[in-house]
Amino acid sequence: MRRRNLIAGVMAAGAAVMAGLYRFTDLLVMHYPPTPYDDLLVQLVDRGQAARLGAKVTDAAGAASLAAELRSGLKPGTLRKVAEAEVAAGRVAEVDGWVLPKTVALLSALAAKV
Amino acid sequence: MTALIDARTLAPGTHLQPDLAIIGGGPAGIALALALAGSKLDILLLESGGLNFDPAIQKMYSGAESGVRYAPLDAGRLRQLGGGSNHWGGYCRPMDEIDFEARDWVPHSGWPFSRKALEPYFPRAQALVEAGPWIYDQKGDADNAAEGSVLPLTGGGLYTSWFQFSKMRGDILPTQFGNRYKDDLVRAPNIKPLLHANVTAIRLAPDAKQVTQLDVATLTGKHFTVKPRYTVLACGGIENVRLLLASNDVMKTGIGNQNDLVGRFFADNPIPRDVATLVSFAGPLAPFYGANQTLADGTIMRATFATTARFCRAAKVAGSLSTIEQPVELDETGKAAVITTAIALGVDASNARAYSLGCGMELMPDPERRLTLSGQKDALGLPRLKLDMRIADEDFARFRRTLSELGRQLLASKAGMLKILCNKREDWMTRMDWGHHHLGTTRMSSDPKQGVVDADGLVHGMGNLYIAGSSTFPSYSASNPTLNLLALTLRLGDHLKKVMA
Repeated sequence: MRRRNLIAGVMAAGAAVMAGLYRFTDLLVMHYPPTPYDDLLVQLVDRGQAARLGAKVTDAAGAASLAAELRSGLKPGTLRKVAEAEVAAGRVAEVDGWVLPKTVALLSALAAKV
Repeated sequence: MTALIDARTLAPGTHLQPDLAIIGGGPAGIALALALAGSKLDILLLESGGLNFDPAIQKMYSGAESGVRYAPLDAGRLRQLGGGSNHWGGYCRPMDEIDFEARDWVPHSGWPFSRKALEPYFPRAQALVEAGPWIYDQKGDADNAAEGSVLPLTGGGLYTSWFQFSKMRGDILPTQFGNRYKDDLVRAPNIKPLLHANVTAIRLAPDAKQVTQLDVATLTGKHFTVKPRYTVLACGGIENVRLLLASNDVMKTGIGNQNDLVGRFFADNPIPRDVATLVSFAGPLAPFYGANQTLADGTIMRATFATTARFCRAAKVAGSLSTIEQPVELDETGKAAVITTAIALGVDASNARAYSLGCGMELMPDPERRLTLSGQKDALGLPRLKLDMRIADEDFARFRRTLSELGRQLLASKAGMLKILCNKREDWMTRMDWGHHHLGTTRMSSDPKQGVVDADGLVHGMGNLYIAGSSTFPSYSASNPTLNLLALTLRLGDHLKKVMA
C-alpha cells in the first residue's frame, strides 16, 4: 500500500468516527429529542443548562403559549441581537433573582417544559 | 494655653462665663472649637466623657426601643472626647447635589441650600479627617487605573464612585478626633476643654428666646453653672434631642419643639449585607471593588456603585451605595444562569467570578420614626430616651429597583449579571446592619413649621442657641455623614465669627 493511500484511509476513518460521535453521541454536541419548538430551542447552545434555569420560573405559561410569545419577536439566529435590544430597552425579567433579558428567561422556561 | 480640665476638680459652685459654650466633644464640637481657635472668642468645650471609654459614663446613653430591631442606644455612639470618631470606619464621601434637593418622590426632602454652600468647606473638612487629597469621583478612576479596570457601566443608573478613608497616623485608622486634636485644643489660648462635664439642663430666659445658663454636673456629684453668650449643641443626633426635650421648664414641650419636631425624623443608613450576587464575566474584579486600596501617596480609596441623579429622578429611588463584599460560589442554578445568559449575549464567561454585594441606603424621612423621653432617668436625673424605629417596605422596594438597574447595566455592558437575593421584608431585615449614623432629629429648614433649626443651624425662635452635626440633616444621603457634617460645622463656624464679632 502506498503511503499516500494509507494517510487518506486514516483520515477518512477519522472523519467517519468524528461524524459518528457528532451524530450519535453528546460528546461533541448535545442531542435532544425533537419537539415542536426546536426552531426556538436551537438558539440555546446548552439546552440543559437553560432548562435548569427555566425550572425556576414560577409563573411560566404553557409551552405553546411561551413559544407563541417567543416567535413574535425571536427569528432564527437573532437571540443575541434580541437580548441586546431588550437590556438596552430595560425589558428584563427575574428568574430565581437573576436579572435576565426577557427572551432568555422565556426561552429557558420553554426549555424546562419540553 | 490651657490644659484639658477635669470638671471633677472644679470648686463647687463654679460659675463660668464664656462667649461660646460648645456642648459635646465629638467631631462636630472639636471641629467647631478648632475653627474658632485663635479668635477673640472665649470658648468652653464641654465633654461628658474623659479621654478613654468609661462604662459608667457610657451607661448614661442607654434607653428603650420599640419597632424594628436596631442597635441599643448606648451601642452606636461613644461618650468620650472624640465621640463616635473613636469607633468609626473612616468612610468619607461628599454628598451629591441631588441629596440637597427637594425631591417630589422623597417626602420632607430638601435642604435650605444647595451643595454649593458646603463646597468651600469640604477641603478643610477633608483635612480634619486626614483623608488625603480630594480625589473621589473627579480622579478616582484615573488614580486607581494601575490596580485594574473600572466596570464599564456607561449609560445607566449606576456608576463606579469612590470612597476615601480617614487615616490618622501610621497604622492608626481612622482619625480619632479626641486623640488627634486634644493637643490642638490645649494649645489654643481661647479654648477651655472641660472633661467629665455633663450638661443636665439648658436654661432659658422667661421669654424663651435666649439661653441664659447651662446646668452642669459630674458623676462625682459636683454641680456648676455656665452662662454663655452663645451655645452650640453638638452631642449627636440622639443626645441633642434628650437635652432639648428635657430642658422643659420654660418651653413645656422642650426647647425648639414648639412644632413637635424635635426627635422626629430620626434616621440612619441601613446597611443590609449580601443583598445580591454580582457576577463578573471577565474574571476577578479589580481589587479596589472589594477592599481598600492605598495609592502611592498614601490615599486610601475603595470603589462603590452609586446612583446617578438622572436615574434617581426617573426611577424615583433614594440614594444608595452598593459595595462588593467578598467572593462567593454559585449554586447550580446560578451556574446555569451565567452559562445561558453569556451564550445568549455572545460573551465568554468561562472565567466568571461571583461576589456578594452589600449596600448603604438612604431612608425616606419619616416623622413617626422618632425619639421621645421615657420615664426612666440616668444617674444624673436626666430622662432617658425611647426610640420608635421604623423602616418602610417602600425603602426596600426603591433599593430593589436600583439593584435591578445594576443588573440590567451589567447585561447591557456585557460585563456581568446580578442576582437579587431579597424579596420579602424578612429577607432584608435578616441581613440588616446599621451605619450608626444618627440623622435628622433636629432637622434644618427655613420654615419653622418644617424644621427645628434654620439654614445657619440657629434653633427657630431662639437668639443664641445653635445645633451642629448630622441631627440637622433634613434628608440624609447614602454618603457617610462625618465629612459632610464637618463641612456643615465649619460653615457654622464662619457664621458664628460674624454674629459674635
